[in-house]
Amino acid sequence: MKGLQDFIKNAGKNVKLSMCLMGLGQIFYGQIGKGLCYLGILVLAIAYFLYRGFADLAGLFTLGTKEADTWLGVQGDNSVVMLLMGILAIIALLFLAYCYISNIMDAYETQKICKKGGQPARFQDDLKQFLDKKFYKTVLFLPIIGVCVFVILPIVFMIAIAFTNYGGSIVPPKLVDWVGANNFIQIATLSQFAPTFGRILAWNLLWALVSTALNYFAGLGLALLLNKECVKKKAFWRVFPMLAYAIPGFITLLGFKFMFSYGGPINQMITDIGGTPIGFLDIDAKWIARIIGFAINAWISVPSIMLLATSILSNQDVSQMESARIDGASPFQQFRYITLPFVLFSTTSVLIGQFIGNFNNFGIFFFLRGGLYLDGYFLASDTDLLINWLYNLSINNNYYNIGATISLVIFLITSMISLAIYTRSSSYREEDTFR
Amino acid sequence: MKSMKKIRILDSVVTHVILIVVAFIFFFPCLWLILASFSKSGSIYSFKGFFPSEYSLDTFRSLFTDTAMYNYPRWFRNTLFISIMSCITGSFLLLLTAYTMSRFQFKGRKAIMKTTLVLGMFPSFMGMIAVYIIMTQFGLINNMWGLILIYAANAPMGYLTQKGFFDSIPYSIDEAARIDGATNFQVFLKINLPLSLPIIVYTALTSFTFPWSDFILPKLLLKEKDLYTVAVGLMSLGDTEFSRFAAGSVFIAVPIVILYFCLMKFLVNGMTAGAVKG
Repeated sequence: MKGLQDFIKNAGKNVKLSMCLMGLGQIFYGQIGKGLCYLGILVLAIAYFLYRGFADLAGLFTLGTKEADTWLGVQGDNSVVMLLMGILAIIALLFLAYCYISNIMDAYETQKICKKGGQPARFQDDLKQFLDKKFYKTVLFLPIIGVCVFVILPIVFMIAIAFTNYGGSIVPPKLVDWVGANNFIQIATLSQFAPTFGRILAWNLLWALVSTALNYFAGLGLALLLNKECVKKKAFWRVFPMLAYAIPGFITLLGFKFMFSYGGPINQMITDIGGTPIGFLDIDAKWIARIIGFAINAWISVPSIMLLATSILSNQDVSQMESARIDGASPFQQFRYITLPFVLFSTTSVLIGQFIGNFNNFGIFFFLRGGLYLDGYFLASDTDLLINWLYNLSINNNYYNIGATISLVIFLITSMISLAIYTRSSSYREEDTFR
Repeated sequence: MKSMKKIRILDSVVTHVILIVVAFIFFFPCLWLILASFSKSGSIYSFKGFFPSEYSLDTFRSLFTDTAMYNYPRWFRNTLFISIMSCITGSFLLLLTAYTMSRFQFKGRKAIMKTTLVLGMFPSFMGMIAVYIIMTQFGLINNMWGLILIYAANAPMGYLTQKGFFDSIPYSIDEAARIDGATNFQVFLKINLPLSLPIIVYTALTSFTFPWSDFILPKLLLKEKDLYTVAVGLMSLGDTEFSRFAAGSVFIAVPIVILYFCLMKFLVNGMTAGAVKG
């Protein structure tokens, strides 16, 4: 606050010029190159806003006023594109504001330098700074642009969609409208969505908890087993899980789908011994399919946990174990009180990552039972996770608004869980320990 | 003493039995798929239990010659192109981002870190529809460059692992070089880059294999059959084309598996760096 007061009191003529017109103050200081750069940005921005920016901003609020009519040959507004372009215009506006403020701050800095009797920085020196002191700006420029367009823009767009009625029968050329929190109320109360949502959410939480625990302890157990003294040729035994780790996931999943299909080897063996084929992944195979899901997920994820645990165990302080053994601790006690806390401490972030990854594990049930719709579920089946339902709703069936609303719910759940663990974990609090 | 020895032998036997079972569980599906790729008949229904009734190399031959319905060589070229291009651009952006976030203290650094953390928690393809619309606006649907652009732009989001690694390179080396008159750019190029070889290999490998085995984005953005990647193409194969699927899978899995085994040390180091520091 004090800085702002100082600024208002001290801002000189050139700073005020910069406030009026980007780059003008710099030009008056003789920093022609820099001033022209700022001016150029301003000109480009104004051109953009005149050409389409203002219309885009207005479109964000109206989401289109003119409905298309093929009979009369009227080309209507495309609400969805308008929404997207409106968000883009806001991002552009924020960028312009950032440039404007940095331009004023820059002029102010130059004024300070001149007051102390220094010279305004030359353009070449300013440019050189971008390879030295401001190197981070040079480097982060491209990634930030990319992330803004392909990560932030889509996410903001989907958040916006969650508050519109875009979806179902209302898709362009029909006009979309803002509906407030209506979608959230619909998911929670409407008989079409609410029961499905409740069931899928419950199964999803169960899935994430059980599969994370299963994978984690199986991986840790395998690592401890391979770490035992009596196991010779550790490298040989490690090859097999590593094989599973290296095969691309979609091949594993498609392969297992074939394995459990009606014509697959398991059913053939069952028929060979005189049984009737079992529809492992059939529409009524609720728990069988779920258990197969757990098993296949473990097959895919356990090796990576094992590799991780192995390398963490190799950093463990052996003398601690030794002294515990001398004091008469049983192997289980050694594991429970020494190894487990140590490994858990080192892998908190992995556990969070695994939990979120499993919570949003799209592939498993997409490949095993994708496209099945059950009675009692709205466009989903009893193995589908929220993320699969989201896919069914928005990409296969055009229920974009409901899909977006579910994304927000998923986000709320995962972020709350991981924030709670993350802020308590030591790796966050002691970020600079090794500095 | 004798009972101690007995316990130890028993322990060793039990351990090895478990290991054999584990090895079997992990190895058997791979073996099954490999043998299936050498099956003489294509359909899964002509197998005796787990194994094909007759073996031949025909499937591999037809995989590359019979391209009227399923143009595997084409899929393979597409996948290779997309993966290599996104590996180069993605690793470059990712490494630079991670390096900057680790080495520079600047205003907004913490804010950027928190923002990426929050962004990472949104379901991965929540924005797919938006991405699809953006790509139509740019005219990049049915265009492999569009896919590469998305992979490259998303790559910097995963900078935390690499940042963890760069954090572990002592800062004092940097300072010494700076005192000797090196600019930040030179410090990066001449000192940190050579020291970071392991993490570079790790980054390159992971950003190569992600597009290599991704199926959601190509399925959404590449609608023409000629532009299919291997993942999308293999997904379109049914029960009767089982051995073609197996052969196609084996053919793309083998190079990746070999690559992983050669570079396993880097992979584990990378994973640990990401895990311990987060």
